[in-house]
Amino acid sequence: MSEQLIEIAERAVKMAEKLGANQAEAYVGQSSSFVIDVENSSIKSAEEQRDAGIGIRIISDKKIGFAYVTTLYKDDIKEAVSRSFDLAKASIPDPEFVSLPSVSSSYPDVKGLFDSKIKELSSDEAADFVIRVIDASKETLEGRDYAIEGGIQTASSMSAVVNSLGVAKSAKKTSITLYSLPIVKEGEDQTTSYEYQISRKLSDVDPEWVGENAALLTLKNLGPKTIDGGEMPVVFAPLGAGAILGRGFAGAVSAEEVQRGRSYISDAFGDKIASDIINITDDALLHAGIGSRSFDGEGHPAQRTSIIEYGVLKNLLHNSYTANKDDVRNTGNASRPSYSGLPSISTSNFVLAPGKGTLDDLVSEIDRGVLCNRTGDRPNMTTGDLSAMLLEGFYIENGEIQHPLKNTLVGINMRDLLQRIHRVGEDTRITFSMVTPSFVIDNATVTSG
Amino acid sequence: MEDLAQAAIEAALKIGASFADVRIENTTTIIIEINDGITKQSIASRMKGAGIRAFIDGAWAFAQTTDLTSKGMRSTGQSVAKLALATHERVEENFQMDGPTFEGKFKMSPKKSFDSVSIEDKMNLVMMIDDQARDFDKRIVSTRSIYGELWSELIIANSLGTNVSIQNSVPRIISVPTAKEGSNRQRMQKSVGLRGGFEEMETDDAQNIGTTAAKLAIDLLSSEVAKGGIYDVVMDPILNGVLTHEAFGHAAEADNWPAHSTVLEDKIGECVGPDFLSISDDPLLPGKRGSYEYDWEGTKSRKRELVRDGILNELLHSLETSSRLDMEPNGSARSQSFMHPPLPRMSNTFMEPKDWQFDELIEDTKSGILLCSFNYGYTQPAKGQFMFQASHGYLIENGEKGQMVRDVSLAGNILEVLPKIDAIGKDFELDAGTCGKGGQSIPTMTGGPHARIRGVPVGGM
Repeated sequence: MSEQLIEIAERAVKMAEKLGANQAEAYVGQSSSFVIDVENSSIKSAEEQRDAGIGIRIISDKKIGFAYVTTLYKDDIKEAVSRSFDLAKASIPDPEFVSLPSVSSSYPDVKGLFDSKIKELSSDEAADFVIRVIDASKETLEGRDYAIEGGIQTASSMSAVVNSLGVAKSAKKTSITLYSLPIVKEGEDQTTSYEYQISRKLSDVDPEWVGENAALLTLKNLGPKTIDGGEMPVVFAPLGAGAILGRGFAGAVSAEEVQRGRSYISDAFGDKIASDIINITDDALLHAGIGSRSFDGEGHPAQRTSIIEYGVLKNLLHNSYTANKDDVRNTGNASRPSYSGLPSISTSNFVLAPGKGTLDDLVSEIDRGVLCNRTGDRPNMTTGDLSAMLLEGFYIENGEIQHPLKNTLVGINMRDLLQRIHRVGEDTRITFSMVTPSFVIDNATVTSG
Repeated sequence: MEDLAQAAIEAALKIGASFADVRIENTTTIIIEINDGITKQSIASRMKGAGIRAFIDGAWAFAQTTDLTSKGMRSTGQSVAKLALATHERVEENFQMDGPTFEGKFKMSPKKSFDSVSIEDKMNLVMMIDDQARDFDKRIVSTRSIYGELWSELIIANSLGTNVSIQNSVPRIISVPTAKEGSNRQRMQKSVGLRGGFEEMETDDAQNIGTTAAKLAIDLLSSEVAKGGIYDVVMDPILNGVLTHEAFGHAAEADNWPAHSTVLEDKIGECVGPDFLSISDDPLLPGKRGSYEYDWEGTKSRKRELVRDGILNELLHSLETSSRLDMEPNGSARSQSFMHPPLPRMSNTFMEPKDWQFDELIEDTKSGILLCSFNYGYTQPAKGQFMFQASHGYLIENGEKGQMVRDVSLAGNILEVLPKIDAIGKDFELDAGTCGKGGQSIPTMTGGPHARIRGVPVGGM
């Protein structure tokens, strides 16, 4: 099957060359996924998604065009190739474009990305998983007024990338996601939380853990209060830490943002930008990692790249364009939304090296502060200013959690945040492409009301 | 095409579905992005396929196909009905689907259809905007300008007898310049997005969007970081729209009722804000980015008065929610594409204007903050918590607009914030946006007049 995808891509590249392209690249993506949704504590719907399409990038005199279509029919592909070529012709040449990646002599072998048990999971077996999740949440919420949302998604995908310089790679992946989101009412108070697991291997998921933990997290959020604001330490639990580093820092080390002067760390290459205890790696080779891969979105070999060592900014994330522009090594961080877009730059697995101590240990060291379990915010990537709502936050006094928080914001510039991390925990958790333990910053502005 | 839809519906009914519907889509898009005078990306796409749903006694199944032959449609209709049958064995809540049927065709006839304008002319527009932003001031160090167009044709049919075909055409131009002075770096984004053809890109607003954005980016260089605290806040029309959308609109989407996932659940017919507050969602506003005549289930759309005189009056319905809650359907079901099932969504959402003059509002506020435009926002209706961020603002001191501030966030609770609104302006403006829910993005607009909220937490550094 993967040979077939490569053949389709090769044919598209040949068509583009025939039209007069200097270089061409085709990316074919094919995926099937199965989704079951739970509403009000009961299964409600099932979805079968089969998606297949192709995206074609054409370079003609340093002018670049791209077109995609949501089918793999010959006529549709032909139309997409010609639209891509027309766009290239009309574009303004990019003098800094050098070349698509050429073929490499070796590609790393990354294991654990495909599990045939996920691919072959029947709809009945999938439903059983969901019911186990929901039953575990129900058991924990026994006797309360609740409604549980939840679900399962399994996906099996294959992709192929081919270019006119000889790159012809294909890969297959599977994933399974389980989640539970209970809503609990108590008097006038209504709250929610969620727990989930995403894995590339069926035997790694634990439906009972997901269900029970979702319920426990929700109960902890009941009875939120505001506090007197001010300057105080903030503990970021692994999911909060992953959100802050994922949305707030990973994008700042994209070479493209730095080259265009749009990143808040633009002038900081080689500087000490974080506290001594910070070590961050972008690791595409992690066994069974959600962001793991043998080659990137352009077919360039993936790798492990040190981003911060003892607080010093060591490397940026590159794709072929930015690496050629800076004349540095391509780190293989081209990423694309399957066939429907051009490669941009993003992390593979972004790993903050663990320190010592559990989340409880970190909390116990705080006299007065707040705990951020989750936030949906991101900083202004140009200035680094971050104003984050504690979507799930708690007030800490005398080393103990006192109560959940509402209407509470934490304000800090990302450059200060990185410098002020004085504790990193050992409780690493994988959240999609982020691999982060808890950490503590000694001071930020907390507003609540 | 209508025959293909019927083939799928009949196949699904034959297997045992009690309701089935089909969306057959053919959409083309173009996106042209120029960075610093060079084409960064130009993307053309075609989305072609069908999404089919089958329903049996409370159980839904959905599948999509790109095989638009009668054989392909029949076979997908059968497999989706089988999936609904299997799901049916697991559901606990039984209900039936019902609703009015519609037949009709809506054709867009823009003055300048997208395919009548050459790619070169579209490229020239983006280049002009990019140059405009860069030429505004030496301190503009990076420019990013994006043009996007979407032309869509959709056929919608269901087993109740609805048979509708619709067209849509939405262009948008965005300017995102970055200004720099010393180590101070600021970025601003402004856009014009409407419904119509390429002629909508020839208005003064659209033709000058690069200058508008660049001026604000330069102004931001002299802005200060706001100090966190509790403020009386005056929102500009754009930010008011974000409040209306995030802090209220999502919680009024009727799929939250069967799921028990909104803090508004027990508030229908009850007071949620002051008696001078009315919030509407109107998909029939002419020429607006969030407008449509029939929704993605084929239901004729109409204006929704979500809040009337402070009372929660109406919800945003799909056929499922109107059937289950025994309410009137109002055409609020939308999908991103044929690959997604429709969900209750907003269209053009706004606070209705009242009687305050902007100057009076600022003068009357004495001490507070005027928040303008926005970066982003999100909400969790089950908890009632929301937050959004203004791109900039101005301190209000002694009843006058003062120092410019930037990136100001506002957090709050849906049920607590609406009663704190105490003054609504008489001006009105809508801004283009894109709304995300359940992994689906759709074009929307949000807005309203200037309005004031008393005593809310505003985040600062």
